[in-house]
Amino acid sequence: MPPQVNCPLPPNYELDQYRIEHQLSLGGFSIVYLATDKDGTKVAIKEYLPNTLALRKEGQVQPIISEEHLPAFRYGMKCFFEEGRSLAGLNHPNVIRVLNFFRANETVYMVMQYEHGRTLQDYIVKRKGDVRESFIRYVFTRLLNGLREVHAHKLLHLDLKPSNIYVRNNGSPVLLDFGAARTTLLSDTPMLKPMYTPGFASPEHYKNRDLLGPWSDIYSVGASMYACLAGGPPQSADLRLEHDRVTPAVARWQGRFSDELLQTIDWCMHLSHLKRPQSVFQLQRKLVDWQKPAEEVPQDGWLARMRTRISNIVKK
Amino acid sequence: MRFTIYQESRQGRRRSNEDRIAYCYSRDALLMVVADGMGGHLHGEVAAQICVQLLCDRFQHEATPRLNDPFLFLSRGLTSAHCAIVDYGEEHGLTDAPRTTCVACVVQDNIAYWAHAGDSRLYVLREGRIHAQTRDHSRVQRMIDRGEIDEDDAAVHPARNRIFSCLGGPITPHIDYSRKTPLKNGDVLCLCTDGMWGPLGNDSILQALVHGNVLETVRPLLDQAERLGGPNCDNLSTVAVTWLDSYESQPPAPQSISTLTLPLDRTQTVMEEFGSARSNRRSEEFSEEDIERTINEINNAIQKFSR
Repeated sequence: MPPQVNCPLPPNYELDQYRIEHQLSLGGFSIVYLATDKDGTKVAIKEYLPNTLALRKEGQVQPIISEEHLPAFRYGMKCFFEEGRSLAGLNHPNVIRVLNFFRANETVYMVMQYEHGRTLQDYIVKRKGDVRESFIRYVFTRLLNGLREVHAHKLLHLDLKPSNIYVRNNGSPVLLDFGAARTTLLSDTPMLKPMYTPGFASPEHYKNRDLLGPWSDIYSVGASMYACLAGGPPQSADLRLEHDRVTPAVARWQGRFSDELLQTIDWCMHLSHLKRPQSVFQLQRKLVDWQKPAEEVPQDGWLARMRTRISNIVKK
Repeated sequence: MRFTIYQESRQGRRRSNEDRIAYCYSRDALLMVVADGMGGHLHGEVAAQICVQLLCDRFQHEATPRLNDPFLFLSRGLTSAHCAIVDYGEEHGLTDAPRTTCVACVVQDNIAYWAHAGDSRLYVLREGRIHAQTRDHSRVQRMIDRGEIDEDDAAVHPARNRIFSCLGGPITPHIDYSRKTPLKNGDVLCLCTDGMWGPLGNDSILQALVHGNVLETVRPLLDQAERLGGPNCDNLSTVAVTWLDSYESQPPAPQSISTLTLPLDRTQTVMEEFGSARSNRRSEEFSEEDIERTINEINNAIQKFSR
């Protein structure tokens, strides 16, 4: 990892109505802090600070933004706002909550609910791929509830991966980092090509952005499940298009996990977007059906939804 | 006719671009128009658009390929534009009447004719000097004429934006006409809105445009004006032409337009479509106002969804 370019705000720094505790994570475009609000409640604060455009040296608070970088800095800020906008309209237990948005130090901050737990990525690394099927089922069924809500708002996450899935201590997941999310209705400017994590982005991410759809997020869900079993990301989709070296889950883990799970993973990771589940609901139905594979699936959408809901309540 | 021409309109740091610009030419005549709209909401934009469009439409009909009388063309054109804007305001019941400044210039037979209302300007630059320029219909210009203040005072005077003539609005516009001005090879004509001449001043415009090709000199000049305009930079627009006609034969300048081969009944018009000016160039720019507005929107959305 390259050395950190920008210095984080110091501990105990008073930022608006919050007090910084320490840095939680760092990305190319932002720093995330753990902080406390007036009532002592813990929050996560994301600071917009693209390290190529704004520089904060040791002991400084205001980043230095050169005149020539200002338009690009502002443009990136617009994208940061998109994330806030995407999240502000969503209120779902499996999607990270945005609590506040404010300006300070020449830049902008997004305040989010702080959750106790760890990312699915950390979990996978710690267990070295030894993840139980019941855990995968539990986490992903709930995660898909959140993703369904996202899609219902005509949004795509577009950067789903284990490090963006946070697992609370009680096992329920939260979808994080909507930095790449865009309303599907707005066409993307080529100027802003977000960096995707290889292995989790769908073939459409690379090749044909017009084809991006719910099925693209579903590819990422499939790849994340695959990573849970493999202990690391699968081959990236652009390389798969040239020469597919991904062993189908069905072949690789036969006997160690249920066939239904393995088939579902392969279904999600199909290179053709048309051959994947077309909606989260379709996938979720498949995931829920494992438990009672022998039973007839009611075709009625409403009935099926009720079933999902009831089975979720039962599980809780 | 032979000339090189460049036009550009920028939003500055305002939320919309109410400036409109266009040029059109036939084989024997060239028309250039700059309009700076005023009025509530987007009505200034409409007024400026009506003005520019009406003049271009008329030019296309009348310049076949010559205008019978360029001054008559300008006078009828500006008066009709005024009436059309007033009609538009009445039809739509607008209390805040849409208005626009206008400067329009015709060149025919190597002679320039221009007319203006308001504080959009025309400069004729020749041999390192300002050969001619319009006189603003503004209060500060009156004060300068009476000797009450000088140019430097005017640049910072609080009433510098107050004009007493424009198209649209309840008062019949006061329109000034130029003399017939014969053009020489190498003359530069520059029509611009106050968003450009305001921050720059006459000297900067002269220095930047008098030598060289408008295709190359105008853009950096606009950049400079935008920088000087600062965080509240007004819309800035210009049409600039370098006149390259001469009785002596000369090698044609690259990228110049020659109308010699243009059919007699044909005109060429360069005007932006309505509404396109706004999303035109500066869509990537994001002003202080935009930031505040977006943060408020997001926080409102958060409020609405929090239990």
